[in-house]
Amino acid sequence: MLIRKLFRTAWGYKAQFISMILMITLGMGMFLGFNMEWKTIEADTGKFFEQTKYADYRLYSEKGFTRDELNKLSSIDGVDAGTRFLSVNLDIKGEKNKSLALDVSEDFNASVFIVTDGAEYDENSDDFWLSDKFAEKNDIQIGDELTLEFQGVDITGKIAGLIKSGEHMICVADKNQMMPDYSTFGYAYISPKKLKKAVKAKLKDTMTGELEKSGVPKEMLDESVERLMTDTAVGEAVDKVYCQVNLLSALPKEKLEDKVKDALGRTIMVTPKDDHVVYKEAMGEAEEGKTMGSVLPVLFLAIAILTMVTTMHRIATKEKTQIGTLKALGFKNRRILRHYTSYGLFIGIAGTALGVALGFGVCKLIMSENGMMGTYFDMPDWSAAIPEFCYPVLVLTVVLLTLISFLSVRQQLKGTAADALRPYSPKKTRKTIFERLRFWDKLHFGTKWNFRDLSRHKSRSAMTLFGIVGCMVLMVGGLGMRDTMSGFLDLLDKDISNYTTKINLADDADLTKSKDLYEKIGGDWESLCGISLDGDTVTLDIIHNPNNMLNVIDEDNNRIKLGDDGVYLCLRLKDKANIGEEIEFSPYGSNDTYKARVLGYNRSVMTESVTMTDALADRLGIEYSISSVYTDKKSDEIAGSELISGKQDKAQLMETFNSFVEIMDSMVIILVVAAVILGIVVLYNLGIMSYVERSRELATLKVLGFRNRTIGRLLISQNIWLTFIGVLIGLPAGVGVLQWLLTALAGEYEMKLMLGVLTYSVSILLTFGVSLLVGLMIARKNKKIDMVEALKDTE
Amino acid sequence: MSIVQFDNVTKSYKSGEHELKALDKVSFTLDEGKFVVILGPSGAGKSTLLNLLGGLDSPTDGKITVNGKDISTLSDNELADYRAETVGFVFQFYNLIPTLTVYENVELVSTISKNALDAKQMIAEVGLSDHLHNFPSELSGGEQQRISIARALAKNPKILLCDEPTGALDSETGVMILKLLLDMAKNYGKTIVIVTHNQSIAKMADVVIRVKNGKIRSVKEQENPMSAEEVEW
Repeated sequence: MLIRKLFRTAWGYKAQFISMILMITLGMGMFLGFNMEWKTIEADTGKFFEQTKYADYRLYSEKGFTRDELNKLSSIDGVDAGTRFLSVNLDIKGEKNKSLALDVSEDFNASVFIVTDGAEYDENSDDFWLSDKFAEKNDIQIGDELTLEFQGVDITGKIAGLIKSGEHMICVADKNQMMPDYSTFGYAYISPKKLKKAVKAKLKDTMTGELEKSGVPKEMLDESVERLMTDTAVGEAVDKVYCQVNLLSALPKEKLEDKVKDALGRTIMVTPKDDHVVYKEAMGEAEEGKTMGSVLPVLFLAIAILTMVTTMHRIATKEKTQIGTLKALGFKNRRILRHYTSYGLFIGIAGTALGVALGFGVCKLIMSENGMMGTYFDMPDWSAAIPEFCYPVLVLTVVLLTLISFLSVRQQLKGTAADALRPYSPKKTRKTIFERLRFWDKLHFGTKWNFRDLSRHKSRSAMTLFGIVGCMVLMVGGLGMRDTMSGFLDLLDKDISNYTTKINLADDADLTKSKDLYEKIGGDWESLCGISLDGDTVTLDIIHNPNNMLNVIDEDNNRIKLGDDGVYLCLRLKDKANIGEEIEFSPYGSNDTYKARVLGYNRSVMTESVTMTDALADRLGIEYSISSVYTDKKSDEIAGSELISGKQDKAQLMETFNSFVEIMDSMVIILVVAAVILGIVVLYNLGIMSYVERSRELATLKVLGFRNRTIGRLLISQNIWLTFIGVLIGLPAGVGVLQWLLTALAGEYEMKLMLGVLTYSVSILLTFGVSLLVGLMIARKNKKIDMVEALKDTE
Repeated sequence: MSIVQFDNVTKSYKSGEHELKALDKVSFTLDEGKFVVILGPSGAGKSTLLNLLGGLDSPTDGKITVNGKDISTLSDNELADYRAETVGFVFQFYNLIPTLTVYENVELVSTISKNALDAKQMIAEVGLSDHLHNFPSELSGGEQQRISIARALAKNPKILLCDEPTGALDSETGVMILKLLLDMAKNYGKTIVIVTHNQSIAKMADVVIRVKNGKIRSVKEQENPMSAEEVEW
């Protein structure tokens, strides 16, 4: 019988019940959705990395690694597997602006791939295994032929299979590209045998050229080359190509570095997977999700639960007479408690269940092959994962909601049945300090009425205010994040990058030849190499920018004219040294250490870096090679050269950033829509509560002769007041939360908080819009108020 | 001169499939300045009659004329204006706004009534000048009802409508309230209509209308009505 009463009462309070369920759904959905997002990234990428034996360490040597050295490295205690590895960006012959990262995993025991279609890997094969996403975007089928240009030699072969590889899970051409663009860049694997063939061909070309130069007659060329092409010569050429060894090992970095030094007798640049762009970005994304998941969705859940406290308390108060009747009928307190507590349980279970469904929806919207992250990550499995701490949160939420009902009803059960049957009498009104001031008497009665209503129902007013502040924080946070990101990209596009084309030079490009090439092309150049600074791996960025094609900016986003007397630390390295102090660093692969004075701090776009001019690098005697040349020439105006490993249009590069902004936009839309819904639900629920509680007063005003519109205006004005205060608090709170988020994300980006006028206006207008909409919805109800019925009851 | 005229007024409510006639073709007239008591048992239709007269509800059929104006066909806003200018209400449970002080409750009507009287003076006339800044919850039932009367009269209406004005009060306070109502009505020349089931109050009336089962049973004019002090409860 009481169950029937439960559903009927729920129906009687349908607006409140539906609002509470909706709020819990929304709160739980956002909380779960955002937390599931980062957990799914961690879980699915982790699984994929394991599947494709993603390397824990990458060892780099410009001279390359011999087979013997690999064996020494593989036999280090604590190293589970190792392979010589090559990854080089190559242009596809006959295609404009299309390139591939060509990978070879010699022993195929680390940094491998999984086949999604076609033939399995064969170490003796003469074919290609191509990224399935690149194939799909470029309409390439298994069996099609592909030709890549490798140091002036063509590597041609058929596509044997389509693949996915952990090494290229985020398939970007270099560290400066933010989003993959499979229409222009992908990756492919070949067997070591095929690589050897290409190296051999290249060696043959080089030898032929050199023999020709030294005057060997044409008819003797082939024979001479054959004689020179010994296994040792070919082996040495192959060794030189394998500039990288990938290891699977759980050893800590410092320990491995020592062991590598012992094994090879030289210092080698050892970079852990945390420094590899794919792992770093994926974990950064998860970390970003974790940070986001710990603030904004928690706010949703908190608002939902707090509003539930107010609403449940009001319902229990309204049910006082019913509680008294049940008591008078002989129902024991325990049974009445159980009955009313089940309201909270019902709301908790329904809201949480719907919230879980919404959470999965939100997570899938972000993390699925066709979702927002579908263009970012390329992996086979997209199963949603829930962080373990979410299970207790789910249970605790239901328990908490049940407890809220329990406590609200227990309060009404105190005393005798007669006490409970006595109607609810409002608390005595006392004058606040404002009411004692002179101006008070001059206020319109509506102002006095609303002010006293707010101060008399403090918890309801506080909850409404909290809801508005929350709505505002979510909007400013969401939209501000987008502003900051757009501003950052704008800065990158207009202030930092002033070039048209970025030309990437081969890793082993000779400095003198590179400088000759640069002289021909013009513009600026940059050299990037790994250094160890206080035990951390950071990038040394040597810049030659007389033409301001590539610029460095300071903390306030102003361009820095780089001085030749010292270095600039990026903001993330600010705590390493004060301005004027000296830092000491050591380039990887060398035992030399260098000292330089810190001249200032700069905002680095992507990597953690120490920046200096080439003049200083030359003075200090640092060995470097040019990584990229930045020019205002168009890509097709630049003649081919064996030094050039790839070319990137800035427009194309910015396009990939725009895809990133699009992902952000979708996230922001989710947040803003959720904030608006939350605002509507919270304000409507509390507004209805306020309306019901004041229905007698409203009816009195109607009886006295007040028109519906005047009464409606009174109701709306209360909402507007609260919204005004909410906006005043919410605006700085939103900026504060955003600043906190940026500080928390500072490990990944060096972004400066930028908020556009549009963000402020949209947030304020939307919040006021929501408030006005809800006010109108409630004011409409006033028209239907039954004066006779409302005035019948005792107060 | 008649101020109120009911012509064949019917008010029916739909309750599920049944139609319930709260008033059935009721006709009567009331003269200005009279003290009228509408008497009848619970469910007789007396409150419905008062609500129709007060413009809180509209008749299903028939015509109600007040002060020469047909109020049965007025729009929501016109009815609000009618309530603001022509009638004042006194309820059994006072219906004061709990968040406004005594003075503010009375002064409130000056924002809607063109001919409103001075709030402080009205409060003084009901003898509560000392409680101007008290909230209703700080007053006794009788005091609240006096404020309610002051508020109703402050609009300076033609007719004062009272629905069981002593229903929630003890007899002593009830007598005091009735005396106050009569005195005020006399001083300000108002027509008073009281709805009650209390036969004793009827003895004070100039006109007694008896209602039963939605119909007027009798309309009786009393030549020598008793004073409030003479009435036995």
